[in-house]
Amino acid sequence: MESAIQLKALTKRFGSFTAVDAVDLDVRRGEIFGFLGPNGSGKTTTIRMLCGVIAPTSGQATVLGHDAIKDPEAVRRRIGYMSQKFSLFEDLTVDENLRFYAGVYDLTDEKFAARREYILRMADLVGREGELTANLSVGWKQRLALGCATIHEPELIFLDEPTSGVDPTARRHFWELLYELADSGVTLFVTTHYMDEAAHCSRLAFIYNGRLAACGTPGEIRALMTETVLEVDVDDAEAALLALERVSEIREAYMSGAVLHVNVGASSPASVVELLAAAGVTVRGIEVVDPTIEDVFVHLVTQQRAAGETLAATAPEAVAVPNPPVSGSPDA
Amino acid sequence: MREALRRISAIASKEFIHIRRDPRIMIAVLVMPTIQLLLFAYAISFDVSDVPTVLLDGDRTTASREYLAAYEQSDFFNVVGHVESQKAIDDAFDRSSARIAVMVRPGFGEALARGEKASVAVLVDGSEPNSAQLGQAYATALNQALGRELTFEYLERQAIDPTRAGGITPFIRTWYNPERRSADFLVPGLMVVVIMIVTVQQTAVTLVKEKEQGTFEQIIVSPIRRGELMLGKVSPWVLLGVIDMLVVTLVAIFLFGVPLRGDVLTLGVGTFLFVLCSLGIGLLVSARASSVEVANLVALLISFLPGFMLSGFAFPLHSIPRFLQVVSYAFPGRYMVTITRTVFLKGGSFSILWPEIGALALYAVVSLTLASVLYSRRPD
Repeated sequence: MESAIQLKALTKRFGSFTAVDAVDLDVRRGEIFGFLGPNGSGKTTTIRMLCGVIAPTSGQATVLGHDAIKDPEAVRRRIGYMSQKFSLFEDLTVDENLRFYAGVYDLTDEKFAARREYILRMADLVGREGELTANLSVGWKQRLALGCATIHEPELIFLDEPTSGVDPTARRHFWELLYELADSGVTLFVTTHYMDEAAHCSRLAFIYNGRLAACGTPGEIRALMTETVLEVDVDDAEAALLALERVSEIREAYMSGAVLHVNVGASSPASVVELLAAAGVTVRGIEVVDPTIEDVFVHLVTQQRAAGETLAATAPEAVAVPNPPVSGSPDA
Repeated sequence: MREALRRISAIASKEFIHIRRDPRIMIAVLVMPTIQLLLFAYAISFDVSDVPTVLLDGDRTTASREYLAAYEQSDFFNVVGHVESQKAIDDAFDRSSARIAVMVRPGFGEALARGEKASVAVLVDGSEPNSAQLGQAYATALNQALGRELTFEYLERQAIDPTRAGGITPFIRTWYNPERRSADFLVPGLMVVVIMIVTVQQTAVTLVKEKEQGTFEQIIVSPIRRGELMLGKVSPWVLLGVIDMLVVTLVAIFLFGVPLRGDVLTLGVGTFLFVLCSLGIGLLVSARASSVEVANLVALLISFLPGFMLSGFAFPLHSIPRFLQVVSYAFPGRYMVTITRTVFLKGGSFSILWPEIGALALYAVVSLTLASVLYSRRPD
């Protein structure tokens, strides 16, 4: 089957800064493709190139069979786009927003009537058509934005951090809608920095400092991690992290939700317990866990950063300190 | 093509909803110009009358008394006192109780009786240049008139036929605005300035606002082209700008009693083109400005100052420095002020105003094209 998106050595430089660095990618039709990475790693820049908003410095981008660089207009007709800003006109009603996008995509009246009804039902907005968008709560706005972005039934939808700032219940509801779309054959290209959402995707790519660090199904990504990961529940996480960071054998230690995740590296679980006890930290629970996607990405970031530091003298941009991936939802 | 029209009209109708929902815009567009027009028109008045004047009669003859009586009878001068010394004149000027002083020197009457040139001194307080300049002109005119009369009397007394003595007297008449009402002169120019400020400002903000609320990034990944976005966003403002001009014109006619003597169609065409020019300028600002605040400020600067200084509204263009005269061609205000004044006061029509109409048309095409090129190239 034809690819939905095919990238060959796609590169974007802004002056001396390389935002996207020779990215190769193949997104198949009908999949939910997760595009992950810390803030500023090049996710949005990649999407903008795919939508033909900015031109790449070099490389190729084929979207739905069209050259996204030479023929952006053909691409734009067939894709949908939704960002974390939701892009609704707050002083327009629900109905007026839909009508506006129907005009933008040149829908016939019959088509619009059908799509309108479907979207209102999907977004749970039946009976609220005349309400000003400004008065809707975030979850509704998010679903209406998805409705506007898909009013022309695009074959491929780019979702740039679509769940950012939305409460966990609304996020779950939103992902159900995405599954429905995927089931109907639509390809979804989703960026997120919520690692728990990564597990919802059929395939994942992880981008860091503009480079593709890993790509595969969630299972394949997890399999990249060969080292032992401990989940540790302690009373003083801050003191525990300080103590663990001082030991060079331990690869990484970070907060995942309310507990610590420790990649013991060359060390051993027993020595971690000893170390924490010596630092005066009470360990409430400790167990070896299967590595999560987040564990893998933290690991990849640490590796890349170490590599970057050795290159620091020749490539100054490589030392930019990344934000670590956020785990879980902020409200949890 | 049909698709493009559909997209443009989608944007235009959305824009109309924004305008309808935002009472501030309605106020800014319909109420503000009227208020501005009222404020400016009443505040900036070039009408001069009742200039406080003191008289000093150093001669105290029948001739000198007759001469000074002419000042007392004039509406232009308001004689606030007769003084005895030059010191008193200085005091009156210092206290600003008088702006003009007329001094008749001793020997005035005798000199006239001998048929010689008699001299008087007219002192003008220059700190208020407008009244001062007019005061001087009036006093000179008065002197000339009186002088001629006195000369006639002298010649007749000498039994010479006064008509043969000749003497050319300038005969001044003000055309188009015979009563020299400053409202007639100001309001047509002011309309232009006011309309320009409103339209430039509103359009300058429109594209930037779309960016700030995040809807712009949604629009640029849709099939809408930037040129279509611009056209859609501007078209409601063409209508609003023309409505604005209509409101202000009605205010000018019915409130200020400015006569509309010329061709209404010429005024309409000029207005339409001028509104397009203003929108072009506004879009140029919008295509480059980084935020709504910047757009507002730049729009104000670019419309307000040139509107006042370089349109001929307040200062005749031939009296400003040559460099600024050249600069004034870069702003559409000067063409439009000529159009409004000519149509309102001189009864002008297309046959005389075609150069200005042509200039506006060219200006509109250039500014709108430039704005759309700049906007399309903007790296977003």
